[in-house]
Amino acid sequence: MSIIEMKQVNKRYKRGGETLTVLDNLDLEVPEGDFIALMGPSGSGKSTILNLVGGLDSADSGYIKVAGTEVSAMSPGKLPDWRARHIGFVFQAFNLVPVLTAYENVMLPLALTPLSRAERKRQAEFALDVVGLGDRMHHRPNQLSGGQEQRVAIARALATDPDIILADEPTGDLDRDSANAVMDLLRRLNDEMKKTLVVVTHDEHAAERARRVLHLDKGELLEQTAATS
Amino acid sequence: MSTPWILVRRNMRAHWLRSGLTLMSLVVAMFLFCFLISLVTSLDSAVSSAATNRIITQSAVSLFVELPMDYQTKIEGVDGVDQTTTFQWFGAYYQKPENFIAEFGIDHDVFFDMYDAELDLTAGPDGVTGPDARQAVIEAVAADRRAVVVGEGLMSEYGWSIGDTVPLIGTIFQKTDGSAWEFNIVGTYLPKKPNMDNRTMFFRFDYLDETRNQGAATGPTGVGVYSINILDGFDPAVVIADIDALFENGPQVTMTSTEAAFQASFVSMMGNLPFFVATIGGAVVFAVIFSVINTMLLSARQRTRETGILKALGYRNAAVSRLMLGESMLVSVIGGGLGVCLALVSQEAMLAGLGQFLPTYAVANETALFALLVTVGIGLVAGLAPAVMVARLAPVTALRSEG
Repeated sequence: MSIIEMKQVNKRYKRGGETLTVLDNLDLEVPEGDFIALMGPSGSGKSTILNLVGGLDSADSGYIKVAGTEVSAMSPGKLPDWRARHIGFVFQAFNLVPVLTAYENVMLPLALTPLSRAERKRQAEFALDVVGLGDRMHHRPNQLSGGQEQRVAIARALATDPDIILADEPTGDLDRDSANAVMDLLRRLNDEMKKTLVVVTHDEHAAERARRVLHLDKGELLEQTAATS
Repeated sequence: MSTPWILVRRNMRAHWLRSGLTLMSLVVAMFLFCFLISLVTSLDSAVSSAATNRIITQSAVSLFVELPMDYQTKIEGVDGVDQTTTFQWFGAYYQKPENFIAEFGIDHDVFFDMYDAELDLTAGPDGVTGPDARQAVIEAVAADRRAVVVGEGLMSEYGWSIGDTVPLIGTIFQKTDGSAWEFNIVGTYLPKKPNMDNRTMFFRFDYLDETRNQGAATGPTGVGVYSINILDGFDPAVVIADIDALFENGPQVTMTSTEAAFQASFVSMMGNLPFFVATIGGAVVFAVIFSVINTMLLSARQRTRETGILKALGYRNAAVSRLMLGESMLVSVIGGGLGVCLALVSQEAMLAGLGQFLPTYAVANETALFALLVTVGIGLVAGLAPAVMVARLAPVTALRSEG
């Protein structure tokens, strides 16, 4: 069963007086529990796909259904609640809130859930344990290495137990060892916790951890390589 | 409806210099606001607490023109007049000109009865206090031509005690031999109404009159004003008209008014003070609103990416707006609240500083409450623009920002 369905999706941006087609009648299906890597040159529309799937942006036309909900038909006012329930984001620049500790960052999405305070605390500690940072939970982002910051961001994405984790260049700002650790961790989430993952990356090594690799160019899904593992 | 309020506290602490400076500007602004409002309300309270059964007769030419002394007997003959007392301003200072003291020469045999509603005689000779103090003071004043009753505020300011002899240098009435006037402190008082202060001295008018009649002092002859209590059941307007009619052919034409109108005339001498003060107070509030808006807009801009993160995590526009409004409110209420507290605790110091200019200065509870409401208003107004700004931010744009 597909957890992500995109049909005939178009997205254009206006830059200056010019209209730039980013997605051109794009079709994409991601089965539940899949782990796909989206690759392609800059401007090919990889991040746009993540933003559309996560409800951070809207398509000009087309049909987008994610986790059983037609996102393309949802009103903007309902998207935040839906996003909080179904989507976890991981960004290239980590995007942790600098004034909060690792634990408090992980607690941010949990505050949007109906869980009790004790349950939220348990979930946050569990998520930080999963990413191997249980002992650094009271550190601020500026007291952590880049790799550790990204693992906190993964814990934050994981904490609410979302259906899908969307990661935009999660290894882009990391050295090779840290990048490998982060990709291994994402693969574990897929293998052990059965999370559906869509990862945008330029990094061939990182993409190797995915089950499927999709190549995008000029808004079109050009080829689809078989899973590498 | 969840809002991560922890971010308000943490961001304020993270940008402590900015937060601190904004807080300080609010402290100063709201202190000034309270002070200015209190200037007006203190002046008003003196007027509004004036006795309704008292009228004041002065020269129609000016307050500085003396009335003949025989006017008092004639006034007492007017229908409706109960008691009268001279009320003679005696400009003097203690030790040095900066220590200027308000002193009035009064008719000691009636004054304390006439002003029983205004003055509480708190202590007399030989340590008499409590209910017996009043009679003890009245008797002591009657027994000593140089007797003076002093407000407790003035007593404590100069460290005087009952029984002390206080030398004062007259500025209007000067001793011909250049010596100081000597007054013996026989009692103290506390004001019962805001139109009286606790830093005045009341002495026997006959001491002044006899001294100048003996040629031992210079200064104008006559009396500055007569204070008149009218009997119950008499219309003050009629009594006023009768008194002024009595002297319409001179030698000094009089102008009689209610005590409230008399006190209000002092306020009007300063021009349209309420308008002037309100203008400054309003300008202060506006200036601080702009300052807080500027701070909050800067804060919103610096937190653009944080806004994007929150929106990506599922926080609604209203939640990120509440954060900006909350921060603005917190800064305003803490800063403004401290300013109001400062105005309240500094009342005594301000009173000492204002001296005789405004001896009734006080920050009323209503003023403090109004100032607090203004601070809440400042918080709301200043937080509005940044709240709208962050609500309108598209998550994708916000996440791409450097802030």
